[in-house]
Amino acid sequence: MAELLIKELHVEVTDEEKKTSKEILKGVNLEMKTGEIHAIMGPNGTGKSTLSQTIMGQKNYHVTHGDILLDGQSILDMPVDERARKGLFLAMQYPAEIQGVTNAEFLRAAINARRPENNKISVMDFIKELDKNLELLDMSEAMTERYLNEGFSGGEKKRNEILQLLMIKPSFALLDEIDSGLDIDALKVVSKGVNSMRGDNFGALIITHYQRLLNYIKPDVVHIMMDGRIVKTGDAQLAQKLEDEGYAGLRDELGLDVNLIDD
Amino acid sequence: MTLEKFAMTTDEPTWFTQKRQASFELIDKLPLPKMQRFNFSSWQLAPSTEAIIKTNVPTICDDYILMDIFDAMTAYPEMIQKYFMNKVIKSDENKLTAYHTAYMNQGIFLYVPENTVVQKPIEIELKQNSNQPFVSHILIVAGENSKFSFIQRTRTEGDAKSVANCVVEVMAMPNSEVRYAAVDEMGENVTSYLSRRAYVDQNAYVDWSIGLMNSGDTVADFDTDLFGEGAHSEIKVVDITSGQQQEGVNTRVTNYGKHSIGNINQRGVIMDRSRLIFNGIGHIIKGASGANAEQQNRVMMMSSKAHGDANPILLIDENDVLAGHAASVGQVDQRQLYYLMSRGIDKKTAQRMVIRGFLGDVLVSIPSKAIREELVQTIERKLADGQTIATNS
Repeated sequence: MAELLIKELHVEVTDEEKKTSKEILKGVNLEMKTGEIHAIMGPNGTGKSTLSQTIMGQKNYHVTHGDILLDGQSILDMPVDERARKGLFLAMQYPAEIQGVTNAEFLRAAINARRPENNKISVMDFIKELDKNLELLDMSEAMTERYLNEGFSGGEKKRNEILQLLMIKPSFALLDEIDSGLDIDALKVVSKGVNSMRGDNFGALIITHYQRLLNYIKPDVVHIMMDGRIVKTGDAQLAQKLEDEGYAGLRDELGLDVNLIDD
Repeated sequence: MTLEKFAMTTDEPTWFTQKRQASFELIDKLPLPKMQRFNFSSWQLAPSTEAIIKTNVPTICDDYILMDIFDAMTAYPEMIQKYFMNKVIKSDENKLTAYHTAYMNQGIFLYVPENTVVQKPIEIELKQNSNQPFVSHILIVAGENSKFSFIQRTRTEGDAKSVANCVVEVMAMPNSEVRYAAVDEMGENVTSYLSRRAYVDQNAYVDWSIGLMNSGDTVADFDTDLFGEGAHSEIKVVDITSGQQQEGVNTRVTNYGKHSIGNINQRGVIMDRSRLIFNGIGHIIKGASGANAEQQNRVMMMSSKAHGDANPILLIDENDVLAGHAASVGQVDQRQLYYLMSRGIDKKTAQRMVIRGFLGDVLVSIPSKAIREELVQTIERKLADGQTIATNS
């Protein structure tokens, strides 16, 4: 069993052009274990993506206070690739496109990065695993010979993120708005992929605006984030309640002085 | 060895020896080829050659003629006389073309007759023996309505200090379609002059895909003359420089014909302390109305000690044309790098993948999958070598 612990996390984002920084996360606490699915919901601009990017190690996000521990070890000084090899995975909202590198080659490189030099995955094993996952995600084999995300539609990109998740098998997946821009069929496929990973050795943190995704991927824990903090934590019921009452309702109930962007 | 003695070691016809002699007289009188922002006047590029080297040609084919160029002088004298350094490139253009004609010691001749379509790419591998200068010539004559692909690989054997002077001439007759791909891999101690040029006649098409993977200092002239109406050429060049390497590349398209189309797309990766200058030259001659000339020259700097430049040069003497250019000097795309590393791929491997993405535009347009994959392998190796140098210095 693995454990991801976020303690009193404060994060600033630097704007390279304006040379200014702004505090986005203002003390986030979160504890999750493999075997659990957590969801983070919250209005726009509240710091949800910042949290996932900071956990992964994107360098524009600076931790000014607090810590992130994976199995008791701080990962703040680790580069992105090392964090990934330790078991973290971020399904991105806007995956990069890379022409000239095929999807299949990329997947193999990612798998082999986790294996010792003398024990690379065999072509047969790779293809077997790939075919199984392609079928699960209703993806064609041709997708794997295409260049990484290049010319993929929004939905194809999201599926491709989940394909990577299934192939890489991380301990913890951070799924950043994996539902945005998906129609209902694609949403079902993507959810099926994530659900197939459920088990004692897998945990996920799902970031979403909408409760809709959580109908398909049932969370064990739901966190509500506002203005850089987690303001409420509960079970799946909380997401339903939010859907009914809206963020403004919850804010007023908690007596928070927070501006919601859409107010 | 004097030129007379050298010529006597070959069994070439007298007219050819005379052509050598005439060119020899010009070597000291002609200037070096012109190259903007790249000075190579101190390079030793014209040593005398010792002996000719016959090239083994893979298979005899009924559809077309592919043979050693010295054999072709006897078998097809009219054709060689008409085209060799006489029509596409001329012996008296500059010091290095004159040197080439005087000392040519290796080469092949390809003739695809009119109305002939060759399905399988025609492949040739030239090996440079580093013990003597490599003055190689490839003469390609594409008959009317012919269609074929030609793939050339050039490698160095041995690591002695030497000189290469390689000329490729493509004569594309009306309505022909020639796809030429090359992977150049001259060794670290080889100083090279490469000149490749096509004469493109009416409605003919010449597609160049060049992987310039030399490890030594190199001057390259890639030229396309669009003489015919509706002549068309796509020129794609990928180039990686590393170590202390110096490279100057002139890629030029000249539109003479009405409605002729010439597009240049160049990508360079500059590592370590190397230097790479890309000049993209688009020249539209008066009278070439409806011509189209586009170019992209992009270089990526991998080290703060590297030097590079991408210079688009447009010379337009006609009003009714379309012309454009884009140039950039940049660094590794951080978003792409982050994405790859977020999957556990280490930084160096991720960098190589991002670079391949940068070269991708050009790589994907190479006609043969085999040569594409081979070029990818070569690129990987060259980048990995460059990264090792960077780590150790």
